[in-house]
Amino acid sequence: MLVYLYDTTFDGLLTCVYVHYYRKRADKIYPFQNYQNHILDEAVPVKTSKEKADKVHRAIQKQISRLALKHVYHCYLSNHYEKDTYILKFLELGFKLRSKVDKLHTHPMVHPVVTLANRVSFEVHRFLGLLRFQEVGQGLYAKISPDHDISLLLAEHFVDRIKNEKFIIHDNIRNKAVIYNGKSWVISDFNFPGTLPISEKELLFQQLWKGYFDHIAIQERVNKKLQAQFVPYRYRQNLTEFKKRYPNARH
Amino acid sequence: MKQSILDKLQILADAAKYDVSCASSGLDKRNTGNIGNSSAAGICHTWSYDGRCISLLKILMTNRCIYDCAYCISRASNDISRASFEPEEIAELTIEFYRRNYIEGLFLSSAIEVNPNHTMEKIIKTLHILRVDYQFTGYIHIKAIPGADPQLVKKAGELTDRMSVNIELPTKQSLKLLAPQKSINSLFSPMQQIKEGIKQYRYDSRHIKKVKSFVPAGQSTQMIIGATPDSDLSILHMTEKLYQRFKLKRVYFSAYVPVNKGTHLPALSTAPPLLREHRLYQADWLLRFYGFNADELLNFNQPNFDLDFDPKMMWALKNIEQFPMEINKVPYKELLRIPGIGVRSAQRIMKQRQVSMICYEDLKKMRIPLKRTRFFVTCNGRYYGEKSMEPNVIKKYLKPDPSYEQLTLYTIPQRATT
Ligand code: SF4
Repeated sequence: MLVYLYDTTFDGLLTCVYVHYYRKRADKIYPFQNYQNHILDEAVPVKTSKEKADKVHRAIQKQISRLALKHVYHCYLSNHYEKDTYILKFLELGFKLRSKVDKLHTHPMVHPVVTLANRVSFEVHRFLGLLRFQEVGQGLYAKISPDHDISLLLAEHFVDRIKNEKFIIHDNIRNKAVIYNGKSWVISDFNFPGTLPISEKELLFQQLWKGYFDHIAIQERVNKKLQAQFVPYRYRQNLTEFKKRYPNARH
Repeated sequence: MKQSILDKLQILADAAKYDVSCASSGLDKRNTGNIGNSSAAGICHTWSYDGRCISLLKILMTNRCIYDCAYCISRASNDISRASFEPEEIAELTIEFYRRNYIEGLFLSSAIEVNPNHTMEKIIKTLHILRVDYQFTGYIHIKAIPGADPQLVKKAGELTDRMSVNIELPTKQSLKLLAPQKSINSLFSPMQQIKEGIKQYRYDSRHIKKVKSFVPAGQSTQMIIGATPDSDLSILHMTEKLYQRFKLKRVYFSAYVPVNKGTHLPALSTAPPLLREHRLYQADWLLRFYGFNADELLNFNQPNFDLDFDPKMMWALKNIEQFPMEINKVPYKELLRIPGIGVRSAQRIMKQRQVSMICYEDLKKMRIPLKRTRFFVTCNGRYYGEKSMEPNVIKKYLKPDPSYEQLTLYTIPQRATT
């Protein structure tokens, strides 16, 4: 099997698609650092080319549709091992059927991409809510540990919402962050050194929030199973209201 | 001793928690001030131990009440901890919670302290601090206090996104019995005023450049379920009437948690009727998005929902002669009437039908629950149910679903509600 390996960037993936059409048909695509070598594979690293990527980008948008492009991009951000190959198959069908693919939700070449894309969009929507800032010095800092690579998709929302603050949204699984200085934002590699300097005032508001959270539940309706479906345990480590150290916690 | 903010927050959150409205939606708004925007899809920020979404800081201005509504924890005759916030305190809490992304906005309600106007004025002052001093453009929902001066309701409406008047009980008689200080008119007249204000605002904003907004996210209300012997049918009739007459965005239901003793109230040991509340929400959904009306779902011979089957299933079994429906043929409106097919699946089916036939396998991929749906459809002429289409036979195959599995299906905030 012919396998293309790329450098994890979206441009890299699109370059593979280009090479697939203009040089040799690949069977699979993986980002190089995820790839689990297989004895029968012929693995070829593909060098990312902005120019080639742009061509594919435009082709998807023009010849298939903007929705397809969105699905491809969101699918690319997902954490599924085979996502890139799914995208390749989806695009092969897309370049044949054009915008019709958008209506073929259950088609075996479409369904995996749309399903993964939806999972990513759903997690983005979740994290618009399930993200907590702490005041650290002059700015706000949030740590997140999402399943998918969503930090970029969160940026716009918060830049609009708290436009006069400075903030960092740190994905501590992928060691990257959205950094906003009050005027413009960038996404970059990021490692937070050591512990955060938490002020008295910050601690007070964390306690107030925790106190509120514990009191707003109706005892007669307690249903932690239902709660766990909405706030899975893996998300709770970064959520102020689920931390145990506050003195007023009743649960 | 002076109460700390934390004490007040806990007392007044406790008092506010029976109000069920949680939605922060129905409005797309960018940040045109200093802080705050809203998204029409609504955003839940966390879920409390009872599994309910927390979107807004839901709080009472005060729980010191001069009224004595039988069902209410804050009623004057109860011996409980009392507290009042100052407008500045609520505004600061809102902003500090908001910038940390704890909440999507504020839902401010209040008991009636001193008199309705005094209370309403304090709410307006809070809104003013938030909107003008902090330049907060995030979501705000307030309660209009029954009996407050229309001038005050107008002022509040210009500063808030949503306003609600809680009707609480579906009939005049029940109101008289349990909330004798509130008349149905003192509830309907602010509703009417808000409805007209919204209409005027919508009209003006189409014709004039700069108009003061008025309750742009619409009005809502709430009814408690199970505090009185009122049937589901009368609750649903009231719901329908409220949507039609006052153009409400949402009617909420709140399973009554017995907090007080009283001759006209259920015993303190009564469990809150959660499943009944859930059935009413399902029915409300059918009214708003599925083209059903109350009389199709219930009637005088059968005035309450079946706790074993959801309202749409109940309707389908009663009208079995309309089934099976052909997935590849029936119009959208009919698709919506098939048990197990929701708005999203129906849209997907319509979309796919334009380009290819739908087969039975496709339905599974669309995540349609075939266990229930198979009795009511054909796919390219083929029926996948059992030999008999007798409602009683179907019922046996369906066997009642465990209540919580159902509950979660319907409360997942695909698009959080409004
Ligand atoms: S007026 Fe409101 S707060 Fe006061 S007793 Fe009645 S329901 Fe409760």
